[in-house]
Amino acid sequence: MATQTITKPFTLKYVDTIGFVADQGGRGFHLPTDMVIREDGRIFVASRSNTTALDIVGIQMAAVDHQFFGQLYGYGRGDGQMIWPSALALDSDNMLYMADDFLQRVTVYDADGNYVSKWGTVGAGNGEFDGPSGLTFDADDNLLLVDHRNHRVQRMTKDGQFISKFGSYGSGDGEFNLPWGIAQDKDWQIYIADWRNDRIQKFTPEGEFIAAFGSTGDGEGQFSRPSGLAVDSDGNMYVADWGNQRVQVLDADGNFITSLRGEATLGEWAVEYLNANADELDARSRFVPEFEVDVEDEHEASARIESYFWDPVTVVLDEQERVYVLETCRHRFQVYEKIK
Amino acid sequence: MTTVQSKQDVALMAHLLRRASFGGTRREVEERLEMGYEAAVDDLLSRSKPFSMPEDIIRRYHVDQSDLRNGQAAGAHWVYRMATTPNPLEEKMALLWHRVFATAATKLIQARMVVNQVEMFREYGMGNFRDLLVQLSRDPGMLMWLDNQDNHKDQINENYGREILELFSMGVGNYTEEDIKECSRAFTGWSVVNPDYMSIKMRNNTARPYGYIAWQFNYDEDDHDHEEKIFLGERGDFNGEDVVDIICKQEATPRFIARHLYHFFVADEAPVPQWPYEDPKDPEAIDIMTQAYFDSGYDISAMLRVMFNSDFFKDEAVRFGRIKSPAEMVVGTLRLAGGLELPSMETYAAAGVCSQMGQALYAPPSVEGWQGGSEWINTGSYVHRVNFASKVLGNPNKPGLRMLIGDVRSYAEDGALDAETLVDACFDVIGPMPVLDSTRQGLIDYAEKWGDLSFGDDDSAEFAEQKIVTMLQMAVTTQEYQLA
Repeated sequence: MATQTITKPFTLKYVDTIGFVADQGGRGFHLPTDMVIREDGRIFVASRSNTTALDIVGIQMAAVDHQFFGQLYGYGRGDGQMIWPSALALDSDNMLYMADDFLQRVTVYDADGNYVSKWGTVGAGNGEFDGPSGLTFDADDNLLLVDHRNHRVQRMTKDGQFISKFGSYGSGDGEFNLPWGIAQDKDWQIYIADWRNDRIQKFTPEGEFIAAFGSTGDGEGQFSRPSGLAVDSDGNMYVADWGNQRVQVLDADGNFITSLRGEATLGEWAVEYLNANADELDARSRFVPEFEVDVEDEHEASARIESYFWDPVTVVLDEQERVYVLETCRHRFQVYEKIK
Repeated sequence: MTTVQSKQDVALMAHLLRRASFGGTRREVEERLEMGYEAAVDDLLSRSKPFSMPEDIIRRYHVDQSDLRNGQAAGAHWVYRMATTPNPLEEKMALLWHRVFATAATKLIQARMVVNQVEMFREYGMGNFRDLLVQLSRDPGMLMWLDNQDNHKDQINENYGREILELFSMGVGNYTEEDIKECSRAFTGWSVVNPDYMSIKMRNNTARPYGYIAWQFNYDEDDHDHEEKIFLGERGDFNGEDVVDIICKQEATPRFIARHLYHFFVADEAPVPQWPYEDPKDPEAIDIMTQAYFDSGYDISAMLRVMFNSDFFKDEAVRFGRIKSPAEMVVGTLRLAGGLELPSMETYAAAGVCSQMGQALYAPPSVEGWQGGSEWINTGSYVHRVNFASKVLGNPNKPGLRMLIGDVRSYAEDGALDAETLVDACFDVIGPMPVLDSTRQGLIDYAEKWGDLSFGDDDSAEFAEQKIVTMLQMAVTTQEYQLA
């Protein structure tokens, strides 16, 4: 669908950065892949970590005011444990659901973070899945699960019983190529980050195709491997344009509104660290944070400019519709607010 | 399998693929023979085909291969590339330059900087040597590895100035200590953006607060020594590029590079520190490649082309005369088995086993890289080789292995494979690979316990396939398989 730039209904203003590389444990995240915000403000972040820091694989808990509440569970195959946590969702009772792409299962935790149950069968049949990569609950409190290597979305009960499905492999309307994130608007319409088709697709609550937004590229309204998104009460879409290392905001018709490249500052945890390490703090006083990079590759540019998004993987809105952008490679999320 | 080529042609093409690629199956040898030897060399040099495992797929599934901070993730990232590339010579050359211009993540801390350096080798490593040397001199990983951020106009640091002459271009004996100082002066001001902070982060070995920041080359005009220099007999206000120009004109440079190419692709040479005192193993080969360097205007591919097409490379006496490096053995085996079309943790295991065998990718042991040769083999490393190769070829569901099983099966006569045919077929389909009579006879004696393998019914076929897999596993654990 062609997009056109319209009079901007709002802009996004940077507010804060919350995060810290927790590659040795402690406060922070490590290579996070998804986050959710509970109604009481508690934020759950799933960290994938790496092979030399397996202790950090888990779900960290924090708040936007820089409080840190520790980590739920950890690496492993046991109850509550995880290997490749890929997605989080909260149901109406604040039960937390975590998808594990490696173990091919969904794990359920209660509101206190205790393990409750796990389910999942690998396959392509109804109720089976191959690579759960996105989770959200629908109006009836059933789980919508992006079954990405089967290129489809499945609707399941909370205990994993199949209800319905939509989508198949391809690039036509309603078809997917390794889809990733999922979101819903206030009318429970469903939005899918159709990752390898470089577009967002919109569906009715029943899964009927409505529209597709975007095409391959780095222009306004174009995408490179969009991974996650959120939709506000006006139907505006906030898309983690992962391959382009930016967040794009489109209105409900797919028109481009604005784009963010990231402008992280040192959050409270980072400041405390630097205050305790005088040599780094001193060198940081002569530090040029942003400079002209000599590469065209935005991923490499993000590796060089600390304030930029580096692998922005998902976007989440809080109750005030502030915009949270989670970045895998910078172990943090940046918060923005709408200015009309 | 129909054999339309002479045994000599087949053996020569298999030799080319063991050296210029990571080996090739009988099927791949036949495909290359269709185009002819010289065209096959040109095809290997062409590098026109796209990388088969896309970066976005790798980054999605292996998030630690996106920031590439960690050495294990970086090693696995290169294994993907080597195991799936349709341009294997490009990867072999990257391995060669990684050995010659040895830079280790152990000091740099963020493996990403060495990964980027190796990516630069892919782009420039088969082109003009002058361009490669300029890029190397601008490479942030190399600059920090050899402390050039501390090379200032009022206080030089000689590390890079010394190594570019000693290890990266001409070799000891072809320049003076004064040339080293003048060369270092020419590279003053060649540093990275934010050098103080980056140096401290490297020294403190910490990714905090938000992960490492990748380095970018920066030329600081104010910190460059603009005074006159005298370098290798020439006089002028030389900057780094001027010094590289002068280096590339010297005959010592292509002779040094040719000796590295010979050591890597033809036959083991003496360790580099002995080169000033020992003649090359084949002086005429060095002369031929040196001539190609000057005739082509410093083109590395021209040196490679003349080498692969030369009698000294084709000579039967040099075949199977090199011990495969761990990376060559591991990647060659992964390519035999196939199955890395989808992301797999097997790449981490493969990088790990390379390290256990003495070749940690992105972490050469010193500025002199890996010597290789007989140093690759000791009791411990041999056990790792055998265990790895056997394990990789133990999964009959892998597509490459399925093809090999089918190829072995095609050797059956009257629906059956006797022990002798089975053993010969296995060594043929993975190479072909000649083996010692004692090796062959030992395996035949072992296979005779199974009786003739037949494929008449499902049970027999299943049993036969299991035994073919077992024999292929045994084939890749032989001492002959360790040789290239």
